[in-house]
Amino acid sequence: MFSRSILRGFASELRFAAPSSISAAPLPQRACLHQTAWLRTTQQQSQSQPHSPNPETPLGATPRAQDTQPETQQGSKAPSTPTSTFNTITPQTRADVPIQKQPVAPTFDSPLEVTKSVMSNLPHLAGQSPHYVVAELHSRPYLLTAGDHVRLPFLMPKVKPGDILRFNRASAVGSRDFTLKGAPHVDERLFECRVRVTGTEAEPLRIKEKTKRRQRHTKTAKSKHRYTIMRVMDVRVKTPEELLEEGAVVVEDAEDTPKIEARS
Amino acid sequence: MPVKGLKTITSARNGVGAFILQCKRLDFHYCNFGGSSRGMLNFLTKDLAAFAREHPQIEIRVSPRPAKHPVIKGHYINGLEKAICVRNLEPSEIMKKTMILKEASGEKLKRTKKPVTSLNESVRGIWSPYHGDLRSV
Amino acid sequence: MKRLQLQRWSSTVLLPRARTNNRLHQQLYSTGSRLQSTASPVQSESSIPDDIEDASFQDPNVMRHIRRAHKRKMQLQYPSPPVEAATKSAKLAALHARLYLPSRLPLQTLARTLVDVSADHNPDFNNESLATLGHDLLSHYTSEHLICTYPRLPLSVTFAAMYAYVGPKTLSAISTEWGIENATVPGGEVDPGVLQFKRIDPGTDVNEVSQLESPRPYAAQKNWRMTVSSKTFYDNEFGDAMKGSAASGQGVTYEAARATFVRAVVGAIYLHAGRPAAKRFFEQHILSRHLNISELFNFSQPARDLARLCARENFEAPVAKIISETGRKSRSPVFVVGIFSGQDKLGEGAGPSLIEARERAALSALKGWYLYSPLNPRVPSSMEEEGAAPWKPAHIDLGEIVV
Repeated sequence: MFSRSILRGFASELRFAAPSSISAAPLPQRACLHQTAWLRTTQQQSQSQPHSPNPETPLGATPRAQDTQPETQQGSKAPSTPTSTFNTITPQTRADVPIQKQPVAPTFDSPLEVTKSVMSNLPHLAGQSPHYVVAELHSRPYLLTAGDHVRLPFLMPKVKPGDILRFNRASAVGSRDFTLKGAPHVDERLFECRVRVTGTEAEPLRIKEKTKRRQRHTKTAKSKHRYTIMRVMDVRVKTPEELLEEGAVVVEDAEDTPKIEARS
Repeated sequence: MPVKGLKTITSARNGVGAFILQCKRLDFHYCNFGGSSRGMLNFLTKDLAAFAREHPQIEIRVSPRPAKHPVIKGHYINGLEKAICVRNLEPSEIMKKTMILKEASGEKLKRTKKPVTSLNESVRGIWSPYHGDLRSV
Repeated sequence: MKRLQLQRWSSTVLLPRARTNNRLHQQLYSTGSRLQSTASPVQSESSIPDDIEDASFQDPNVMRHIRRAHKRKMQLQYPSPPVEAATKSAKLAALHARLYLPSRLPLQTLARTLVDVSADHNPDFNNESLATLGHDLLSHYTSEHLICTYPRLPLSVTFAAMYAYVGPKTLSAISTEWGIENATVPGGEVDPGVLQFKRIDPGTDVNEVSQLESPRPYAAQKNWRMTVSSKTFYDNEFGDAMKGSAASGQGVTYEAARATFVRAVVGAIYLHAGRPAAKRFFEQHILSRHLNISELFNFSQPARDLARLCARENFEAPVAKIISETGRKSRSPVFVVGIFSGQDKLGEGAGPSLIEARERAALSALKGWYLYSPLNPRVPSSMEEEGAAPWKPAHIDLGEIVV
């Protein structure tokens, strides 16, 4: 049981002994040992306190949003993701929603079909970064690139800050010289567009005065809408090799299939 | 020296790599005597512990503010703060207000018309009148 | 009404019996230094009142006052917060959770990263060693990313890009975005969740480099030319002159203290959670930020540089040709000039005069050359991951042109 002052004297001696300019005495290993020695006993102390977070409990182990595998946790709370819609289809509540605004049902029962022309042009598109995507949400288009800040014109229900959503309905995906245009939509297995919910925002309070003729009374109508804000994490077009690995089938061209158009 | 480098700094894009919740501190003020604090006192004793456990990234302070209405104040990473008065509110309503403060970005409320703001250059480039063929109308 | 004198009040009112039997004082002086032992940290509030209990105070209020006064006196002895305070700080726990730090990184280490060397000179309690490690990690990861992604980048632009990613200004901005606050004055009683450093005295020249510590010969000759290649040898990773460590007792700037803190966090993650965690942290917090590298170039004579480049690469000599123009005799003409090497168009630019348009065309041609980036570049440190694909040599360029 050394006292701190003794250690200090020891350290100062060390410093005199080795007066190099940058970070004289403390090697990283020593720093590590010093801290771990502390850890052993402070664990028992901190367990007795309910309010102070214990470093050993999974405090940082809730990185719902921080993991690098988005497949495991991509926005299971989002109504627009294919997994959740597949599990929670409730036709009664969707009856009043127009058909255009209803979430897309996953089309994974058959393998992805890519036409020959798309397959031949896809390496050019995938190799030319950066990419953009015209993603559709409630049949409204949003032109997105990686890193963009999006403020949706509505409050998205059942999402929390930090959730990752995958936008799976796009009308076009492209780079500087090439554009893959959907007919009317690009298959969701051809590209990846992930966004992270960063919170909600509100507009300034709007006050509208409602008056009627020959009446001295004025009614004030107030409104303050709230909006979901999000950040585009990445926009990526898959390469032909990835598609073939995932089991894509090459088919002949037809009239109403998506096409890659080069810039004129 | 043929080319020199210009010194700048990178700009933050919260959420692209790591995501940091913008609300860093919530202050709960209550009064032990006033009737408008009744819901707040209920909230503090029953719901706050669960809220704090769910959101370890927010520092929570509870302090009395005698003879005043109860207030929740959110402090944000950009240095601004937002306060919501919760007088005579039920614990469930106070929880809603707390969630509003938690999810807010801390920015001043602004009216914006465009949904997407971008730091990137236009992917397809800006249209130029001096390029391309003449098209007959 | 006469004012109470605090000192007198505390000794006469709070500790009447302690003074009589003098046990508290004995305890204070005998074990005061033991309370900060680093070897065995059994050190809680319960250890203090053991001896105070003997003083047999009945009033719990008085007891509480005594304990508080006692604790405060303990804390005031040290220049930085005691280690056991880390588990009680709400700010620190919130910071740990906000950064999603691995649970293997204890709060005590995180508290240590917040203590600058100017606040506590003891290397066992400040963040200098962690920051040294973190600084090396950050420079290593950034430089390998830049060199593998843009193999043709000129050295001066690489320096600028390094500065943009991990320069002190950027790191200071990052720490602000993490929600770090400053302590007004460092001390043992301060919350361990705030950044502790001693501020530099006003009026000090922060850019001054002490001539004695610079490894560069003839460093005193300020107006001598310094080549870029000499900067790789003598200067730091941003191409700036190296500064020696601050003398003891001197303060540091706000920016420097915050940069040191971010580096120390990276070093702490590396030590406690390992290399993959440190690299992921680097990618998520540093590499994910936005930087447009094409804005970092500052050419003085782009047309001449392009001619030299074409000569070196055995291209045909560049020729500027007008592609289109409008309003040559008007007040605001626009010329679009392309630079061609044989049949290939290297670059194109538009400007209000022929010279300006040619310069811009040469500039875009040079940027097109320097900003070449291979498809799916891999960095050498990716080989350290489990099950990495076999290494293919990265593209290495000849380097920039010599004029």
